[in-house]
Amino acid sequence: MSHDVLEPARAAPPAEAVGAPALLTLAGMGKRFGALQALADVSLELAPGEVHCLLGENGAGKSTLCNLIFGVYAPDDGEMALDGRPYRPAGPADALASRVAMVHQHFSLVPDLSVVDNLLLGQQTRGVLRRRECADRVADLSARYGLQLSPHARIQDLSIGERQRVEIVKCLMREPRLLVLDEPTAVLLPAEIAALLDVCERVADTGCGILLVTHKLAEIKRVARRATVLRGGRIAARSDHPEQDLDDLVRAMIQRDKSPLRPRERTVAPPPAGPSRRPEPALMVDGLTVRDPDGVVRLDRFTLLVEPGEIVAVAGVEGNGQGELGAVLSGLLAATEGRCFVAGKEVTHATPRALTAAGVGIVPEDRHAVGCITGMSVAENLFLDRLGRYRRFGLLDRAAMRRDALALMQRFDVRAASPDVAFGGLSGGNQQKAVLARELTLDGLTFLLAAQPTRGLDVGAVEAVYGHVRAACERGVGVLLISSELDELLAVADRVVVLYRGRVMGQCPADAAHRDRIGAWMAGHTE
Amino acid sequence: MTTLTVNSPWRTALARPAVWISTAAVLGALAFGLLLIALLGVPVVDAVEAFAEGAWGSPYAVAASLNRSLAFALVGLGFVLAQRANLTNVGGEGQIAIGGIVATAVALYGGVSGLPAGLGFVLPALAAALAGGLWGAIAGVLKAKVGTNEVISTLMLTFIAVWMVYGSVQSEQLLRQPVSNATTLPESLEIPDPTKVPLLTGDFSMPLHWGLPVGIVLAIAVAVVLNHTVLGLRLRAVGLNPVAARRAGMAMVSSVVGALFAAGALGGLAGAFMLQGEQYSLKTGFSSGYGFDGLVVGLLARGSVTGVVAGSLLFGFLRSGGINMEMSANVPTALVVVIQGLIIVTLAGAAHRMDKKETPR
Repeated sequence: MSHDVLEPARAAPPAEAVGAPALLTLAGMGKRFGALQALADVSLELAPGEVHCLLGENGAGKSTLCNLIFGVYAPDDGEMALDGRPYRPAGPADALASRVAMVHQHFSLVPDLSVVDNLLLGQQTRGVLRRRECADRVADLSARYGLQLSPHARIQDLSIGERQRVEIVKCLMREPRLLVLDEPTAVLLPAEIAALLDVCERVADTGCGILLVTHKLAEIKRVARRATVLRGGRIAARSDHPEQDLDDLVRAMIQRDKSPLRPRERTVAPPPAGPSRRPEPALMVDGLTVRDPDGVVRLDRFTLLVEPGEIVAVAGVEGNGQGELGAVLSGLLAATEGRCFVAGKEVTHATPRALTAAGVGIVPEDRHAVGCITGMSVAENLFLDRLGRYRRFGLLDRAAMRRDALALMQRFDVRAASPDVAFGGLSGGNQQKAVLARELTLDGLTFLLAAQPTRGLDVGAVEAVYGHVRAACERGVGVLLISSELDELLAVADRVVVLYRGRVMGQCPADAAHRDRIGAWMAGHTE
Repeated sequence: MTTLTVNSPWRTALARPAVWISTAAVLGALAFGLLLIALLGVPVVDAVEAFAEGAWGSPYAVAASLNRSLAFALVGLGFVLAQRANLTNVGGEGQIAIGGIVATAVALYGGVSGLPAGLGFVLPALAAALAGGLWGAIAGVLKAKVGTNEVISTLMLTFIAVWMVYGSVQSEQLLRQPVSNATTLPESLEIPDPTKVPLLTGDFSMPLHWGLPVGIVLAIAVAVVLNHTVLGLRLRAVGLNPVAARRAGMAMVSSVVGALFAAGALGGLAGAFMLQGEQYSLKTGFSSGYGFDGLVVGLLARGSVTGVVAGSLLFGFLRSGGINMEMSANVPTALVVVIQGLIIVTLAGAAHRMDKKETPR
C-alpha cells in the first residue's frame, strides 16, 4: 500500500479498509476564513474503535477540521455524517448532545476549583452539587482507563498532563462515541505521552472512535490504525498502514507545491581580510538550558554560533523549545544555565534595554503581546525604543517623529493612511513590516532575532519581510530565524538547526536536498 | 474624527460625544435631584435658592466651593496621571491625610515660621507633597517588586493614614495641643500665621488662597506631561502593554513607582492646602472623604485633564450648595450624595456609548 500514500487528494476514502461501517464520514469539507481557504475538499472516514491520526504542519488546517467536527465552526462546503445519519452540529453543545467530545489544545478549566467542581461545571446546571457521585464516577473512569486523578485536587496544583486528564475525563463522562483530541501530546512529557496513548487505546477498545491530531511519528506508529495528512488545507496523503508508511507520510507533510520565495543566492564569504574584519560571531550561545517553573527542561544545553552575515534557522514543530530560546534571547526569560554573547559581549542576563544597546534587534514571535502596542500610533510604535530622540525643549517633537516615521514607512513599504493612525488598524503584514523597520534600523545592529516573522502573512508580505532580512544580512548582521515553515527557512537561511524537545536533533546546510532529513528531525525521528 | 480645529475649539469640543454625553448625564442627574426634592415636599424653588446661595451666592461661598474643587482636582490629577500607566490609585484620601499630618508637623515644629520669602508656608507644603508621594510610592514598590495589586495596597494604606491622623491628634507626644483641662479637644494647635498659605484677596470674606493658582499650573503641567512629552508617551506605553514596553527598553519599576509617587504627591499637596489654606489645625476627620470624591472625579474624567477640572468644579460647587441646602432649606445633604451617585452611574453608563462613538487617542 505504501505507494498509494501520495495519491492525489481526490481519491475516494478507503471505505472498506477497516470493514466496519463508518462512525464518522466527512465528504468534501471546506472552510474559508476571509480570503484564506483553511480547508478544501477534505473527505475522511473513521470507524468505531479506530484511532485515526491527523497529521500536518502548523496551519495545515488540522484544528479547523477538528473545530468543524465539534461544531465550533460551520463548514462552507461538504457534508458530515455520524453513524450514517447527517450530522450538522450548530455548536459544541449540539456536538456533545450527539456524543461527540473534544479536547482542545488550550484547556478550559477553572484553576481555582477542584477537579470535581470543574467536571460538574459542564454537567450539572442546577441544584445542589452532587460531588460525591461525581467523585465516584471519576474514580470509576480512572480505574477503567488508567487515568490517574485525585478528584478533590485543585486544578492550579496539577501538572499540564494531569489537567489534560481532567479534560479527557470531562469528555469521557459524556460517554462519547467520537473523541477528538487536538494535539494532545504537544505539551506533554514522554511518560505522560505514553500514558495518554494507553488511554486512547483503552477508550478505542470500548468502540469509541478517536481522531488524534499530532505531529509526532512515534505516536502514529504506536496507536494509529489509519492516518491522514493535511497540507495547506487539503488532504495530502492517507494511509491504512501508517506504521509502514511513516517516511511517505513525513514527506507528504512537509512537501510544498512551490515556495513563493526565490532561493537565496549564496555568495561565498570572502576570507577574513586582516584585522579589520570583526572576529566575534554575531551570536554565540553556549549550553543554554531553560527549565520551566515545574522543573521541566524546555531547552537543553543549546549551543549555537551565528557569524556576521549569516542566517541560521532554528526549525522545529512549535513547543519544542524555540519559544524559550526566543524569550531568553529577547531578555524576557531568564536562562537556568548557559550563556549568550552578542559580538563578544555577554548578554545572558541583559535587560531588554541593554540588549538594544548591544545591537540586538528582535522581531518577536507574538507581535501583539511583545512587538507593538496596538493602541498607540504607527509613528509611536516605530520609535518605541528610541522615543527619547524626539525631545525638544523637554517636549515631544511630534513633527520630527512624524517626518522620520514617514521616511521609514516608505522605505519598508508600511502601508498606513498616516503615521498617526492606530497601529492596531494595520494589516498583519504591515504591522510586521513596521516592527521589522524598527528593529532593523536599530543603531549598531549586529544581531537580529526573527521569531516566526511571517506567521499569518500573505505571500507578498512574506517576500518583503525576507527581502529586508536578507538586506540586513548583507550588511553583516547575523540573523537567527526561528520558524516552523520549513520551505521558507530552506529558501532564506544558510544553515538549519532542528530542535526537538528542547534538544538539537541535528543541523545541516539549508539545502532543499536535506528537506526529508530535516522533516524527520522535526518529527523527533532520528535516522 | 478630525483633529484639525478649523472651527472654534468650543464647537469642536461640544461636537465630541464625550462632552455632550457627559453634559447630558449631569443635567439629567440634576433634574432627577430636583424631582426628589419635590417628592420630599420641599418647595423646589426654596431648595434651588438655598443651593445657589451656598454654592456661589456670596464671595465666601464661591471661595469655599473653589477650595473644595482644588482638593478634588489635585487628587483627580494624580489619579489620571497614574491611570495613564494603567495604575488605579484609590489612595487619595490617605495621601491627603499624610499630607495634612506632615504639613501640620512641619508648620508647628519644623521651625519654618521664621523663614523669609514665603518659605514658611512653602516648606510644609513641599514636605507634605513629598510625604504623600512616598506614601503612594509604597504601593508602587509593592506593585513592582511583589506584584501587589495597587488598588488593594493604596486603599489599605488609606486606612492606615486616616487612623494615623486620629492617633496623632490623640497624643500630646505627637501633634495634640497641650491638654490644659478636660475640654481640650483632640486636635493640633493652630499653625502659626507665617505657615498659612496666604489669601489671594487678603480678606476672609473671600478665603481664596494661593493654592488655586498653583492647582491651575499643576493641571496644565500634568496635561503637558501626559500629552506632549516623551515621559507621557512612555507611561502610556507601559499602561497599554507592559511586555512590549519592557521589550522596548522602558523601565517598569521606575514607571510604576514614579507614577504612584506623583499621584501621591498631588494628594499630599491637596492635604497641605486643606490644612494650611483653610483649616489651620489638624483634627480627627480632617479630610471628610475629599480623597474619595477626588478619586471619583478622576474616574469620571476618563484620562482627560480637562475632565478633571470640569468634574472637580462640578463636585466642589455641588457639595457646597448641598450643605447650604440642608442648613436653610431642610433638604438632607445626603441628597447631594444621591445626585453625585446618579451622575457617576449615568456617566459610567454613557462611557459605554462614548467608547463606541469615539476612540480615545
